[in-house]
Amino acid sequence: MSTSTLTFPEATSQLDTSPARNSRLSFPRIVRSEWIKFRTLRSTIWTLAITLVLMVGIVAFFSAIGASQSNGPNGTDDGGGSIAVFSIAVSLAQLPVIVLGVLVITGEYSTGMIRSTLAAVPRRLPALWAKGVVLAVSIFVVSAGAVAISLAVMQMVLGGKGLAPDLGNSQTVRILVGTPLYLAAIALLSFAIGALLRHSAGALATVLGLLLVIENLFLIPWKPLQAISPFLPGTAGSRLLMPQEQIDLFSQGATNTVLGPWQGFAVLLVWVSVLLTAAAMLMRRRDA
Amino acid sequence: MIEAQGLTKRYGSKTAVDDVTFTVHPGRVTGFLGPNGAGKSTTMRMIAGLDHPSNGTVTVNGRRYAQHRAPLREVGALLDAQAVHTGRSAYNHLLAMGASHGIGKARVQEVIGMTGLEPVARKRVGGFSLGMGQRLGIASALLGDPNTLILDEPINGLDPEGVVWVRNLVRYLAGQGRTVFLSSHLMSEMALTADHIIVLGRGRILADAPVADIVGRAAGTTVRVCSPQATRLVELLCGPGITITSTTPQWLEVTGSTAQAIGEAAAAAQVVLHELTPATGSLEDAYMALTQDSVEYHSTAAGWDPDDPAAAGAPPQDLLGAGLPQSDPEGAIR
Ligand SMILES: Nc1ncnc2c1ncn2[C@@H]1O[C@H](COP(=O)(O)OP(=O)(O)O)[C@@H](O)[C@H]1O
Ligand SMILES: [Mg+2]
Repeated sequence: MSTSTLTFPEATSQLDTSPARNSRLSFPRIVRSEWIKFRTLRSTIWTLAITLVLMVGIVAFFSAIGASQSNGPNGTDDGGGSIAVFSIAVSLAQLPVIVLGVLVITGEYSTGMIRSTLAAVPRRLPALWAKGVVLAVSIFVVSAGAVAISLAVMQMVLGGKGLAPDLGNSQTVRILVGTPLYLAAIALLSFAIGALLRHSAGALATVLGLLLVIENLFLIPWKPLQAISPFLPGTAGSRLLMPQEQIDLFSQGATNTVLGPWQGFAVLLVWVSVLLTAAAMLMRRRDA
Repeated sequence: MIEAQGLTKRYGSKTAVDDVTFTVHPGRVTGFLGPNGAGKSTTMRMIAGLDHPSNGTVTVNGRRYAQHRAPLREVGALLDAQAVHTGRSAYNHLLAMGASHGIGKARVQEVIGMTGLEPVARKRVGGFSLGMGQRLGIASALLGDPNTLILDEPINGLDPEGVVWVRNLVRYLAGQGRTVFLSSHLMSEMALTADHIIVLGRGRILADAPVADIVGRAAGTTVRVCSPQATRLVELLCGPGITITSTTPQWLEVTGSTAQAIGEAAAAAQVVLHELTPATGSLEDAYMALTQDSVEYHSTAAGWDPDDPAAAGAPPQDLLGAGLPQSDPEGAIR
């Protein structure tokens, strides 16, 4: 479509109404602005939908297998085994979350949108924080929804056999709450790296390389690597999703530190804070 | 009112804007003119707080841009490069921008109407033509109903109808008492749109004057001379306040003198003249004269202000003989 299909209105006709006098910047308004930006991109809708489908799909798949292998209600399993499926589901569902976390910020740099954003919020950091809030809350809400749907599916498939997760079990609750918390933290980690690198492909490669390649290299049984390994963001954070038996298994023959679930998550949050702080400092200083 | 003081921007070893001082006043359209790479966009990005000055300061209505509590209500900027996410619709882009200041749907619809974007407002910006993108940029700039507008090459990509529309719009806005700062590399457009012009070349201000002055002083007194003894004539005419340029052998363009004075000087020295024509100055000539050295040579002269009689007598020295034929001895033109 060319400009000739558009008409030019009389320049002077509609200039007399002006925005309300009280229109000025505030943090809630910046959050609202970022929320509008967030929900009006197709990539957001797609990545969130894929996250949801992956979570529920994987849980449903393993529940179906679990159901077919069990021989009817025996009442001995309290669901502690079935809850382990969330750890597997999250390891895949985190991929679209990482993509979204990176794109939320790098998409603005690649298109030039960041200049509009920073012209509206020239102090810059409120825009960065608002983006982070919108991202983290959205991921948390969507993955909490995914957890709820997954639970319903498990109840349907496994409930009859007494294998559905027991919501009275504190470890089960920890994993169910931990899933959205972990994904929100991973989204912020990706977001921070995106803000640091300002380049979609570079940031994506960095986050995926760190979580999927480098952290696995640190599993090589060589002491110096093993000493650091528990403190890497993905390794530490995913402790939150691990059933206690599995953590106990680690600590048995372990010579290195074994972090508890919340300790591990705290370590992930430290990573997120450090990277976000670095991103904020650079964002203030650099030209847009 | 925009005030720049010693504004400087270096990118590595490259100085894009070099110690620039100027004021853009409200109530009139100020043109920001200069060839590509002169530093116009860089200056405008610094005004809008996007690039940090290496030196100096720039304020809008007495405050740095970032210190305003409602920046979009204070300054509306259309920047050089596109500044919109291609995946979002024009409407949603404006809605999001406005939301940061509590500016709502009604105003968004209004600026869409003002810029004639209704038919495409719900379409994704990625499919927009250059002209539609410019309209969206102008709509964004108008969103906060700001008192100061910074428009970087707003007519880029617009059809003739659009050019006229922008011209009327900025004149109307300035007529309301707003500050309008508009960049272009086209002098002819500036002549029709601006009241006042700041000419930038190689990051330095070459002129800062009313449009009429720029034409009058820089080009109004140009005389075209053809002589087989052009080199000799240059020696004769050379003096304070006189600029001589030459694009072809035998042809000279003399600024700062008159046909009468040149004819008499030539006669006295028995220099043959084939033609002696006072040129009616055009803005394009003035612009060429002002920016020639800044395009081809690095200017060593400081800014030239035609408002200042002392300075007006001494335009940048490099202008002298900027395009003279190779055979001319350097000494003769200096
Ligand atoms: N981000 C940047 N990094 C390096 N050099 C730049 C950058 N932006 C502009 N420049 C250089 O600064 C000079 C001025 O550019 P610009 O302000 O875009 O000029 P104009 O808008 O007048 O055409 C040019 O030589 C350009 O190459
Ligand atoms: Mg430019």
